[in-house]
Amino acid sequence: MSDLAKEKAARLLKKRASVSSLGSHDVRAKETIGKTKDSISTVSYIDEPGHHDDIPRPTVLMENSYQLTPARCFPVVTVKSILKDVLISYLQEEKYEAELCRQMTKTISEVVKARVKDLMIPRYKIIVVISIGQIRDQNMRMGSRCLWDAAHDTFSSHTFKNSSLFAVANVYAVYFE
Amino acid sequence: MDEYQTAEETTFVVDEITTIIKETVESTIGNSSYQHNRINQWTSSIVESSLSQLTKLGKPFKYIVTCIIMQKNGAGLHTASSCFWDNTTDGSCTLRWENKTMYCIVSVLGLAI
Repeated sequence: MSDLAKEKAARLLKKRASVSSLGSHDVRAKETIGKTKDSISTVSYIDEPGHHDDIPRPTVLMENSYQLTPARCFPVVTVKSILKDVLISYLQEEKYEAELCRQMTKTISEVVKARVKDLMIPRYKIIVVISIGQIRDQNMRMGSRCLWDAAHDTFSSHTFKNSSLFAVANVYAVYFE
Repeated sequence: MDEYQTAEETTFVVDEITTIIKETVESTIGNSSYQHNRINQWTSSIVESSLSQLTKLGKPFKYIVTCIIMQKNGAGLHTASSCFWDNTTDGSCTLRWENKTMYCIVSVLGLAI
């Protein structure tokens, strides 16, 4: 993408916001005796809503390429080995610590994204999601479902575990027509 | 010849999506405690119903919905995502929901076609 677009992307990445709402007005209080389950929900998004007007964005008009199918398929196996590599090299000897793992998730996701971009698969958008958690006798379930073109879009996933932490890495690749 | 859609219909609108996801989560696990044997069913149901609600919006987007349900046990969890896409048209939104016994994190990524 052009430099202008890269700059915009960098600016947008700096704006992060999150909104929390405490449970009282959100909870649908049922008439069960003695039980009100409180819940808290928080939303976070990349860009604050309503700020789109501040920065003038020239819309990028793309010409039709008349290409419906990708020239090269996304190499799932190669990406899986990248994930394995990266997770093992960064996390093999680490113990779970809040601050370290916070930085680690961000670093690892950037590193994986850079390595997948190096594969130079044209016309694919890449999404890398990394989760690192502490092992402490708890149970956890992660699920994901995607609405996309199953013929060309795909994902690759790897999990890593050591004695004090676990890490899950997912890479989604979506073809851009 | 070409149909030009308005800006409304081709950008990722966070607020709408947040409302949809929040309703889905609350209707699935809103009043429940963590139960190991039902968690499989809960994650699938949250993800599937969010996805079907998102398709009803009728926007030209491909969606990726991920859901993490974790029992509250004092353990920590960090999630990060890094995306190579078009910032003007694509976006993501994450909802963190909790009650007394579990955490639920749902994230929706939308990519324009």
